[in-house]
Amino acid sequence: MTTNEEKKKRTEMLVEMRKERRETVQRAQELLKAQQSARKALERALTGGPHSVPQLAQAVNMPAHEALWHIAAMKKYGIVAEAGTDESGDYYLYRLVKEA
Amino acid sequence: MSTNQIKVDALVVGGGISGMQTALDLGDQGYKVAVVERKSSIGGKMIDLSKVFPTLDCCSCITTPKMSATAHHDNITLLTYSEIESINRDGNGFKVQATKKPRYVREDDCTGCRSCELVCPLEVSEDEHEFGRTSHRVVYVPFSTAVPQKALVDLDHCLFCGKCIQACPSDAIDFTQQPEPVEIETRSIVLATGFETTPINAKKEYGAGKLRNVISGMMMERLLAPTGPYGRVLRPSDGKMPASIAYVQCAGSRDQTLGVPYCSRVCCMYAIKQAMLLSGALPLAEITIYYMDIRTFGKGYEQFYQNAKAMGVEFLKGKVARITEDENQNPIVRVELIDEFGKTRVTERQHDLVVLSVGLLPGGNPQPKFGVPVGEDGFVQVPDYNVFPAVTSQPGIFVTGAAAGPMDIVDSIMMAGAAASSAASYLEAGNGSRKEAQRQPERSVEYA
Amino acid sequence: MPEEIVNTQAQNPKEDEPRIGVYVCNCGGNIGDVVKCEHVARTLERLPNVVVSRDNMFMCSDPGQKMIADDIKEKGVNRVVIGACSIFLHEQTFRRTLERAGLNPYLYYHIGLREQVSWVHHGTPKEATEKSIRMMAAGIAKARNMKPLEPVRLPAHRQALVIGGGVAGLRSALDLARRGLKVTLVEKSHYLGGHMAQWERVFPTNEEARPLLKRLIDQVLAEPNITIHTGAEVIGAKGYVGNYNVTIRQTPRGVRETFPNEQEAIDVCPIKRRKRFDFGLSTSKAIYRTYTGCVPESLVIDWETCTKCGECVKVAPEGMINLDEEAQEFTVDVGAVVLATGFQPYEPFYGEMGWKEFPEVITLPQLHRLLDDEGPTQGKFWWNGHPVKNVAIIHCVGSRQVEGVHRAQPDGNVNNYCSRVCCTASLSMASLIRQKAPDAKIYEVFEDIRAYGRGHEDYYTRASKNNVTFLRYFAEEIPEVRRADEKAEHPLLVKVRDHLTWGEEIEIPVDLVVLSVGMMPNPVQDLMEIFKVTPGSDRFLLEVHPKLRPVETAVNGVVLAGTAQGPMNIQESCAAASAAASKVSALIEQAKVELEPYVARVDPDKCQGSGECVKVCPQEEAIELKTFSENGNTFQRAVVTPANCNGCGVCVSACPNRAIDVQGWRLDEYEAMVSAIAADIPAWEGAA
Repeated sequence: MTTNEEKKKRTEMLVEMRKERRETVQRAQELLKAQQSARKALERALTGGPHSVPQLAQAVNMPAHEALWHIAAMKKYGIVAEAGTDESGDYYLYRLVKEA
Repeated sequence: MSTNQIKVDALVVGGGISGMQTALDLGDQGYKVAVVERKSSIGGKMIDLSKVFPTLDCCSCITTPKMSATAHHDNITLLTYSEIESINRDGNGFKVQATKKPRYVREDDCTGCRSCELVCPLEVSEDEHEFGRTSHRVVYVPFSTAVPQKALVDLDHCLFCGKCIQACPSDAIDFTQQPEPVEIETRSIVLATGFETTPINAKKEYGAGKLRNVISGMMMERLLAPTGPYGRVLRPSDGKMPASIAYVQCAGSRDQTLGVPYCSRVCCMYAIKQAMLLSGALPLAEITIYYMDIRTFGKGYEQFYQNAKAMGVEFLKGKVARITEDENQNPIVRVELIDEFGKTRVTERQHDLVVLSVGLLPGGNPQPKFGVPVGEDGFVQVPDYNVFPAVTSQPGIFVTGAAAGPMDIVDSIMMAGAAASSAASYLEAGNGSRKEAQRQPERSVEYA
Repeated sequence: MPEEIVNTQAQNPKEDEPRIGVYVCNCGGNIGDVVKCEHVARTLERLPNVVVSRDNMFMCSDPGQKMIADDIKEKGVNRVVIGACSIFLHEQTFRRTLERAGLNPYLYYHIGLREQVSWVHHGTPKEATEKSIRMMAAGIAKARNMKPLEPVRLPAHRQALVIGGGVAGLRSALDLARRGLKVTLVEKSHYLGGHMAQWERVFPTNEEARPLLKRLIDQVLAEPNITIHTGAEVIGAKGYVGNYNVTIRQTPRGVRETFPNEQEAIDVCPIKRRKRFDFGLSTSKAIYRTYTGCVPESLVIDWETCTKCGECVKVAPEGMINLDEEAQEFTVDVGAVVLATGFQPYEPFYGEMGWKEFPEVITLPQLHRLLDDEGPTQGKFWWNGHPVKNVAIIHCVGSRQVEGVHRAQPDGNVNNYCSRVCCTASLSMASLIRQKAPDAKIYEVFEDIRAYGRGHEDYYTRASKNNVTFLRYFAEEIPEVRRADEKAEHPLLVKVRDHLTWGEEIEIPVDLVVLSVGMMPNPVQDLMEIFKVTPGSDRFLLEVHPKLRPVETAVNGVVLAGTAQGPMNIQESCAAASAAASKVSALIEQAKVELEPYVARVDPDKCQGSGECVKVCPQEEAIELKTFSENGNTFQRAVVTPANCNGCGVCVSACPNRAIDVQGWRLDEYEAMVSAIAADIPAWEGAA
């Protein structure tokens, strides 16, 4: 739909914006890095089978409430799904939703 | 739609339930109305709730049609994500300056398809809607039933990676958007600025917001809502399904130390409602409500309370003095049961989750912008309180809903009707000649 | 005359093949947690004429509605079947969706999957899903046969009737008049203001009640749009929304206007009667004035006790008093009706906490009169000729009652509701007592103190500061009031098990017991029948929806104002009354109304004029035989007046020629639905 020229213009605009808002972009990039590494760790742990939030927290060495935050977000965007509860019945287990 | 100049009969400030209802009641009578809402969607606090008392109607199910009716009404113009900057009396009416904040997404082009949201790489805490318990992406549609169903960009977290621009099928993303001034010429104003709840950290005796498993009533509403952060009732510290839940009533109301001597009017009923919903969601959980007086005064409310007692919810009269936590972050509630001779009995009980039945505070102070004085309690002052409950001391300015003091949904709806009626009386009394208001509008029939 | 319904059958040409859109709503889990909505949608997808079949979290949301609108525009959907929550919630929502997309709004059928499936079958999800499929299939079958309809459009009177001249009725009338509508206000008694005139003062502003009321009445009197009839009652009504013809009966006042030697006329009257305005605490003559400054102000005759001896007539100016005046009946045409019929204080049973058994037991409304400067003691806190030293106010008398503990009302129900106003009213009275009797001992015997409203809590705080003693009882153990020893200083004892002191039994000696009685609706059985409105289990008039539509009734054009709907204080009554005015304005302001098209329709070719339909029709003037002539032959045919028809369908079954159908619910539609429910539908295989 868009011509190459428009694309180029858009890229220039983005570069310009990044420059203009260097500080916030930098902060966002750091946040993204941390988020991505946390997500990767959680996903890696989950490849070993369903985990509860405390189990995940222990596996990736992260406070449980943070693990819960990530799991909630991952559930919201369809990356993980519930997989029943643990033996005690107190915690839900989560599994990766893999692409078929 | 650069509606930079709007001419209406009434301007409603606030798009919560009371504001929407006022707009509908005025619009249905043939008046032109503008609704200004500062958030990105109308719906107010009500759209965040799980179910309503005492009917237990699903809140989304009864709020979304109101939102939709407001948005599609022929006589109503909606300005979301907008702030009122100033008002000036202009002859019989008012000239109002408002600003439409940039969404960085062109509203006219966005279809709400969420393609942008799905490709956005970064997630940030959802503070507005879910109290940081979950996240939204940097570009996002506020929630699934938002009106308008349009995306917006959180520019403070944007990486300017351009993925959303590529993904958007209608080329709606626009980082160059600027705040847009809107001038509203109106003959009357209705304040529907609503309420805020007591901040979770207000009371140091209750953990000052530092105890993870001490949450507010509003947060519990989100946990109970089908669209909530976990889709379940889980406690925030570790995702455990709570087996023992306690409610601390008057946590922010009837409390001189917080400067809130008044009763917030809704907390008894919402706590009882939540207790009932929890017994459904977690059948084995034990639920205790610590209270001073149970104030279930509305139509059908007392019967609701009696049902909760019959369902096994424990009601314990006593003032909670302090909340601490053990090493597993289980909250411990210290209750003082005081008799009139000063004898006290103190007990300590451990729970998995404690809900503070936080009170209602004014949603803002309209005095500076609107010249409408507030009472000692911070809510809008109403000079002829008993007989003209929606009429402020400023001619042409009316008040509805929780802006005029804590009230529940049904009372807010009654007040909305009253505000609409008072505004209509004012308009008909020749305050400005009645102008081209559409005389034969398509009526929005009322929604139950 | 009402407009004839457009013949819509003809507007549906054959080539307009049904293209049905099917939508299954999860209702945010309300349905989806039990019914597999996706499975339902996929299964129905393959039925004939179904063009698209979808499920969604919230069909009623904007995105949900947009989905339907897009399918109408892009996929040519021309019939819509929605399985969701109750039709009462969202029929209008979806009709508007269709309208906006350019489709006739009646080409839509709604199935209540929430109330009829998920809420009642939550234990059996498999069967619930199966049932949903069958119900939806029936809806699809109906949709195939649906025809576009038009609402019945009728002119409406831009005039409203307000029944009740208390604060709510006055407030409604004022708003309606200021909105430019004509108002007829009828009040049963001979003065305006209702119970509010009887109160000494009002909370939370501490204003004196009558001056406040007078200001409102003056505004009402100044409105040329309002016609007021006191001593008047509605005795009948015909018609429907927009077009009510209401019959009113007005009893004469007996006295034309105020006159100089009124006192003389009163003095010569030989009859003494208990004064209702003082709740029986004082007496008046049979010719009396309700209170100083009441409106209308002239004296009035109490026909129940007047013997027509004529003494007053003799002393009054010529023609001023007429004891032989007859009641008058007249009618008014109005478009809508506001029921502001108010409440009555709960009347305790004999012996209930000493009521009527001991003269020292009074009710809170009586206390109001007692403390009123114009009341029986001119406002002194005296009883039986002595100052009251100890007083106990017992809360929740006639409210929050428990079955098996409290005596039921004649209908077999106890008052299990909270009356909402009595707590703060009692506390405000305690504060007034403290002013009048600084040394009196005041006890508030309560269950919970419900000082919920703006400014109410201050009364509670003030009472505590004013040395009011609070004792808390539970509904299961009603406080006992009994006579003290003859020599005792105080004549009564109140026995309470006080739960503020761990259930200790306490006896308090008092001079006066005040029962803080709750509210009961005024008995308006006659009006309920006239206007076909219904009460709730608490006997107050029932609203459409207690949360979202608190002032409307199930009858379009009849709205509720104030305590007719439930206990309220003055501020809440005024808000409700004003809200009721809003609804009425929106309804009739444009001098026209729209009614549902689901009315009987006669096929003149099939009708033989048997008149069976006229015989069975339960409605007045809904169907009649009219004589027609054609080519010199005269014959009779049934003709429907759509505005009076409620679509009950009795005529359909009575017609020997199958000449009548109810539009939107035709027999062929029913038949198709029944067949569809019985048919087996192969399930979708894709279920996980």
